[in-house]
Amino acid sequence: MDRLLTIAIVGVAALVLTLAWAWMGRRRAAQGRRRLEDALKHLFELEYRGRQASLASLTGALGVRDRVALNLVARMQTQGLLIASASEFKLTSEGERLALQVIRAHRLLERYFADEARLPLPQVHAAAERGEHHLSPEAADRLSASLGHPAVDPHGDPIPTREGFVPPAAGTPATAWPLDRLARVIHLEDEPPISYAQLVAEGIVVGQTIRIIDSSPERLVLTDGENEFRLAPAVAANIFLDAAPDTPARVGAVRLAELATGQAAQVLGLDEQCRGYSRRRLMDLGFTEGATIRAALNTFAGDPRAYEIRGTLVALRRDQASQVLVLPLERAS
Amino acid sequence: MPRAEAAAVLRRAAELRATLDSQFRDETVKSIYAEAERIASRASHHVGTVRYDFDQRVDRIVTSPVFGLPLMALLLAVVFWLTVAGANVPSAMLATGFFWVEDQAATLFTNIGAPWWVTGFIWHGVFRGLAWVVSVMLPPMAIFFPLFTMLEDLGYLPRVAFNLDFLFKRAGAHGKQALTMAMGFGCNAAGIISTRVIDSPRERLVAILTNNFVPCNGRFPTLILLATIFVGPLVPSAFESLAAAGAVVGVVIIGVIFTLAVSWGLSRTVLKGEASAFTLELPPYRRPGILRILYTSLIDRTLFVLWRAALTAAPAGAVIWLLGNITVGDLSLARHIANSLNPLGHAIGLDGVILLAYIIAIPANEIVVPTLLMVYMGTGMMDEGSSLEQIRELLVNTHGWTLLTAVNLMLFSLLHNPCATTIITMYKETLSLKWTVVGTLLPLGLAFLVTFLVASIW
Amino acid sequence: MSQHDCNTCSAHAELARMGVTLDRIDRVVALAGNPNTGKSTLFNALTGLKQHTGNWPGKTVTRAEGAFEFDKVRYKLVDLPGTYSLLSASHDEQIARDFLLFGDPDATIVVIDATAIERNLNLVLQVLEITSRVVVAVNLMDEAKRKHLDVDIRSLSRDLGVPAVGITARTGDGIRSLLEAVAGVSSGELHTVPLRVTGTPAFHRAISELVPLIESVAPGVPNARWIAIRLLDGDAEVEEALTSGRLAGLAADQQESAPRFSAKISLQGTQ
Repeated sequence: MDRLLTIAIVGVAALVLTLAWAWMGRRRAAQGRRRLEDALKHLFELEYRGRQASLASLTGALGVRDRVALNLVARMQTQGLLIASASEFKLTSEGERLALQVIRAHRLLERYFADEARLPLPQVHAAAERGEHHLSPEAADRLSASLGHPAVDPHGDPIPTREGFVPPAAGTPATAWPLDRLARVIHLEDEPPISYAQLVAEGIVVGQTIRIIDSSPERLVLTDGENEFRLAPAVAANIFLDAAPDTPARVGAVRLAELATGQAAQVLGLDEQCRGYSRRRLMDLGFTEGATIRAALNTFAGDPRAYEIRGTLVALRRDQASQVLVLPLERAS
Repeated sequence: MPRAEAAAVLRRAAELRATLDSQFRDETVKSIYAEAERIASRASHHVGTVRYDFDQRVDRIVTSPVFGLPLMALLLAVVFWLTVAGANVPSAMLATGFFWVEDQAATLFTNIGAPWWVTGFIWHGVFRGLAWVVSVMLPPMAIFFPLFTMLEDLGYLPRVAFNLDFLFKRAGAHGKQALTMAMGFGCNAAGIISTRVIDSPRERLVAILTNNFVPCNGRFPTLILLATIFVGPLVPSAFESLAAAGAVVGVVIIGVIFTLAVSWGLSRTVLKGEASAFTLELPPYRRPGILRILYTSLIDRTLFVLWRAALTAAPAGAVIWLLGNITVGDLSLARHIANSLNPLGHAIGLDGVILLAYIIAIPANEIVVPTLLMVYMGTGMMDEGSSLEQIRELLVNTHGWTLLTAVNLMLFSLLHNPCATTIITMYKETLSLKWTVVGTLLPLGLAFLVTFLVASIW
Repeated sequence: MSQHDCNTCSAHAELARMGVTLDRIDRVVALAGNPNTGKSTLFNALTGLKQHTGNWPGKTVTRAEGAFEFDKVRYKLVDLPGTYSLLSASHDEQIARDFLLFGDPDATIVVIDATAIERNLNLVLQVLEITSRVVVAVNLMDEAKRKHLDVDIRSLSRDLGVPAVGITARTGDGIRSLLEAVAGVSSGELHTVPLRVTGTPAFHRAISELVPLIESVAPGVPNARWIAIRLLDGDAEVEEALTSGRLAGLAADQQESAPRFSAKISLQGTQ
């Protein structure tokens, strides 16, 4: 009896240990894969922006010790993903393909979290970071289709196509942009998160038109015509600019939320920040260029307000109404 | 083989997409509306100069920053008053009718020699449970739902959502939640179904989980009874009914505050996210169609709710009868359970009998008061107290109720777990066991917490 | 038109999948429209008490369907969720769109509000892209009158290329004419030439390239143009339907029961 019990206990213990070992092994394998993918992503992104990757940048980006990073580099080399020489790292075409797969998953997820799940913009990156390793290429294709095959992520970065095509890097860092020349924000670097959070908090968004009005080693002063943004150069370097499109400036354009109650206006369009479901909804309700709109009803709190458009009253909250650009019409006497 | 061809078509479509403007969808919608404008301008013309006369004038008042909210409160008060006042007489008539049937049937059973426990189980148990639910629920629903559907048909409810949105926005919830709460006054199950009007899954879930904080028709009788017995006598007799009504309205307002607070909490913790697109159409006022109102409110809503309540009330009636009639030692099973629940009950300012009544009433909240009285009186049957004076006598003198008991019972009634029908509906609408459990235990936990705190501070 | 012994027809299988049974029914009619256009009033006026409500399979969206008879033909009327558009991919819009595309109803009534024609035409034009067998019911003609609006039904019908009928669902005004139009369109006796919106030249080029490709994959599919638009827009569900062969199967069935396409009387002739 005792022996039977002993055998049973040993058996169960062995089973538990085996399972635990298998589980730990799987976890470690998953962690290894995650690190590998993060490393590939890091190397590709630096190459893409024309910067030099190093062991130091790798340890910094992954938050691991030197020894771990060295092991990673060795592993990538044996798997034929990376060619490391004394002075530089270079991804092989296979390494690049894998990197692009992860980046595609990451940016599609960011688009999803920002547009459909409506996560606040600073949280989008972290959420995508967690999900990117679990999204198979097929699942990424399906996600892409369900989002309407977006071309760029919420920070303005291009989303690689299924075939691994990604347009060359565009834009100049704000620190290298000439004073007083009108520019459009085309990309906000989301690494490191602290400076990205600051940019978001300041209210700088992709698609915004800005001008640099003052530049010194300590401060860069930007303006969007209304507000001034004072940024440390290290932070401002994360803003990438391009020449503002020379479409004629919309003279006198205001945001729908600023329209006085009772006043009529003509819709010019929705601004770039209005994305995903909310954009589709507004378009479907007829908030398209040329439509006549009137701020009809106000509430106790001043928010929401109801607008008369295409023969119907539609109530919008203030933050949505400020994403609609309108041209006020002269007040009817 | 066709799969490969189809894949080739998709690839070509992707290539062509790249050649189009990135704002392709915008362009599509724009060209559709441009065409619509063209056709509409040819097909409809204004004759004369009168435009938007009546509707606009009404809207200026109904949604006015000054009159909007008070007007809304007044209108809702009138609806409640009509429901409460109008339901009393038919309720009593139905109850009398049903009890007459019960008496006749029981006598008949006894005469043909059926054993006493068969008669008791079927007629004083199952049938009486059913009779209670029908007579207590049907009249208020038959008044409330048509009134409500009329406001809906008129186009007033979207204006309520419009007026109240500022509160819901701050709570991270959807403005249309106000509409679903309004439905919840009739029945929480119906309120939960009506959350379908909210597109965003997150905000819809918030609305589902908090709908219970709106007291439904089944809980109003409890609230009204308590307010009448305990709050009314606190003021000079001339204002008694006013004070009682005020207490009920107060409870409703506390419910709204809890709805907003819990919505706020959920939007910042487990259901984190930003307010989604809020586009609310304010349709023109329409003359309501009487037949349609009666049809939707009576068939779709009243009967639907009643049927489900009846399904659960019949077995509950049976359980009450069994608990009251099976004796162990010299006490009924009901008293035994009540005694063991006493410590917990006292901790939150109530007692064991009340908790037992709530457990039995999980299927349908309206049987709380009758169960209570039944266990207190030890009659072994659900009973409608003969008069308010007698009930007060029983509760205060015999069982030591105080104002605290009444206040806590009202709070408990407002916050406690949703009834079985509501729980089932919650599951059907979310298809998630997890959220159903949260939706059940969250209110229950809050009910215990709040009543415990009130009892401690008192 | 032997609809009863056609158990293998995929359109009917599709209908069954969407919860529509075809017992003792000759034709299926879908009812679409914006919210607040009196769509349910019309639904009640047509079906009376012969209706039942439930949910769309797998969705928590309420559905109602009912039956009515007109000129000895038995119709089943399926009330689609009220939507402003078919593009947003909300649950409601997806259901409405899927029913029009895969359920392939014999006719579709689009209810529009006579006092807000411009807004309502958005949906009408989108429905016309999917199916040509459409009747436009211009409801609330009494409200329009109250608001001093003169609505020219003929001009509307001419521009859209499908029959349009002015009605007041609440009083029953015009319902008979509406049913006559539905009978004509669903039997194929009334030929419709639906208006299709032309976009930018680049858009037009892309569409005309895709349409033949789609037709080769799903021969005979009636709405290749709409599918092309959806593919360009990146619509996951339409992509899926194309690769899985769901669309091709649907088209094969339609060719068998082609008589409804025989154009006997053109719409212009009747107006």
